[in-house]
Amino acid sequence: MTRIDFVEVAFDSLRINRLRSALTMLGVIIGVAAVILLVALGQGTKNYVEEQFAGLGSNILIVTPGKIETKGGPPIIGSVRHKLTLNDSRILEKKGYLFAGVAPVVFGTAEVRYQNRSRNVSILGVTPAFQEVRNLHVEIGSFLGEADVDARRRVCVLGRTVKRELFGNANALGQTVKVAGTLFRVVGIMEKKGISLGIDIDDLVFVPVRTAQELFDIDGLFEILVSVRNKNDLNSGKELATSLLKRAHNRNEDFTITNQAAILSSLYTILDTLTYVLGGIAAISLLVGGIGIMNIMLVTVKERTNEIGIRKAVGARNRDILLQFLFESTALATAGGIVGILAGVAGAYALRLLVPKLPVSIPAWSILLSFTFSVFVGVFFGVYPAKKAASLNPIEALRYE
Amino acid sequence: MGSEAASEPLLRLRGVTKLYEAGAGRVVGLSDVDLEIGAGEFVAVMGPSGSGKSTLMNILGCLDVPTSGTYEIKGKSVAGLSPDRLSELRNREIGFVFQVFHLLPRHTALRNVELPLIYAGVPREERARRALEELRAVGLEDRKEHLTNELSGGQKQRVAIARALVNKPSLLLADEPTGNLDTRSGDELMEILAGLNASGVTVVLVTHDPAIARRAHRTVYIVDGKLVSVERFREIRG
Ligand SMILES: Nc1ncnc2c1ncn2[C@@H]1O[C@H](COP(=O)(O)OP(=O)(O)OP(=O)(O)O)[C@@H](O)[C@H]1O
Ligand SMILES: [Mg+2]
Repeated sequence: MTRIDFVEVAFDSLRINRLRSALTMLGVIIGVAAVILLVALGQGTKNYVEEQFAGLGSNILIVTPGKIETKGGPPIIGSVRHKLTLNDSRILEKKGYLFAGVAPVVFGTAEVRYQNRSRNVSILGVTPAFQEVRNLHVEIGSFLGEADVDARRRVCVLGRTVKRELFGNANALGQTVKVAGTLFRVVGIMEKKGISLGIDIDDLVFVPVRTAQELFDIDGLFEILVSVRNKNDLNSGKELATSLLKRAHNRNEDFTITNQAAILSSLYTILDTLTYVLGGIAAISLLVGGIGIMNIMLVTVKERTNEIGIRKAVGARNRDILLQFLFESTALATAGGIVGILAGVAGAYALRLLVPKLPVSIPAWSILLSFTFSVFVGVFFGVYPAKKAASLNPIEALRYE
Repeated sequence: MGSEAASEPLLRLRGVTKLYEAGAGRVVGLSDVDLEIGAGEFVAVMGPSGSGKSTLMNILGCLDVPTSGTYEIKGKSVAGLSPDRLSELRNREIGFVFQVFHLLPRHTALRNVELPLIYAGVPREERARRALEELRAVGLEDRKEHLTNELSGGQKQRVAIARALVNKPSLLLADEPTGNLDTRSGDELMEILAGLNASGVTVVLVTHDPAIARRAHRTVYIVDGKLVSVERFREIRG
């Protein structure tokens, strides 16, 4: 058997029928571009959510006062019989052998003033443990120390935005600001962090937790953040915290412990599903593109019956015709796949420019999958028309006009 | 003439009948044809329109199969050959010039002439070189890059002849190759065919022109699908 230059023959006829080739490719181009774009969109949504929750840590338990009743609804401040206190926090710290850090938090808002500039910001009363638990760090100066907490010192650490708004480019370290009318000395500036969960981390002011209780005239806590040493211990950590706190609260479970990771992972599952559903819808359009190829190839076989007759008359074997037509459809699908990938990637970049908030990203698997699929489509939907062409009787094919 | 006639003929038809199933009913293409053509012979086929000349050529060229009867090449029946074996036979042994050219439209003249060489597996450069040589032989070298639909009838016919000859066939079948040519071009073509025949190629040629038929070793006459004698043929022709 001699080897035939069917590749050359196939390219010849694709080139001769440029418009038809282009139109045939269009179905695959749109299909592949849609797969890439929609998957990128799904992935972007997931990334957005992930970014929002980033820094929260996947190993964190959040203890809030009050019990969410089976009736539902969030705990209402007034209904809290037993508050969370620094004592609770201390118990968790001392006896929670599974915990890496325990960070009590007091939350309030106040006006912060420096000279003639002021800004209304959220104030977080925290302990040094907060840094490790939330993975937030100072850039300049130092964070609040144990001694600051114990002595209720009037010192504060400013978020980036607060610092910029009050001080501009001037040095803030060591300066005094007025927080709700009380003088505080600035000991540190936080590193830039951005928005997480709708809260602008850079627009916060951190003060020692006891100082904050004094400032806002409260003796309870807003929440206690507990980080677990080992991710696998989240559930046993939750049980441990529950039993420790119940003992301290006369066996009352008047608090709620939320496992952020569990909520997140189910959210991610939903988002992954969304990505696959979008990809699936697009894959259907790719399939339709494949059927389009088959359709055109079938028409082509009819239209080119005479050509097939001529080729057979001068010596083309069935296999030569089969390979030519199969190669034509595969080349169309492959070229369509490549152009589709370029179009999809370009579309995703355009989307990123138009909606900067949505961190659109293209997973490698979507490119690989859609490309493989489009080549497969070309082969699969090309086989039937190619077989049809190959099996034509030469004299009947020659007579066909 | 016919001095080369050997004991074993190159082509042998025995009781070959070809029936067509047309819309209106059965049409007789050929009826009980017995014909032997020896290697190196130059045979002309004459007959009125619709008498079955093209039908005969298609069977000789292994493009079509008889409804009944046998066709042997070098003593071997072609009936048992697979479509692919027939393709290879057409490719290596037979050059065919069709009455209606059958060139690939929208392909260049050169590409058309190359076609049999592609399926013979000839490498690209050699293919182009041999195809160009053949185009030169029919005087169309300067038209090699022209698309076949841009050529005149006579030019198309010459491209078809170049294509038939490019793979050096041992049997050339030409269905009215001079039909679209003026007298001079026709004479030139006959020179080419005569030279080819002198080099050992068996030639079978359909023609309406007795002057051309005279240049063959022998002429067979066909009327209504049957082979007839020259006397009977003249009688019918009036
Ligand atoms: N595919 C076909 N289907 C039906 N009938 C056919 C077919 N091909 C040829 N015929 C018939 O067979 C007969 C012989 O046709 P053929 O083409 O062999 O004639 P021809 O001698 O070549 O004529 P011409 O000189 O006009 O080319 C005609 O009556 C024709 O109508
Ligand atoms: Mg004819």
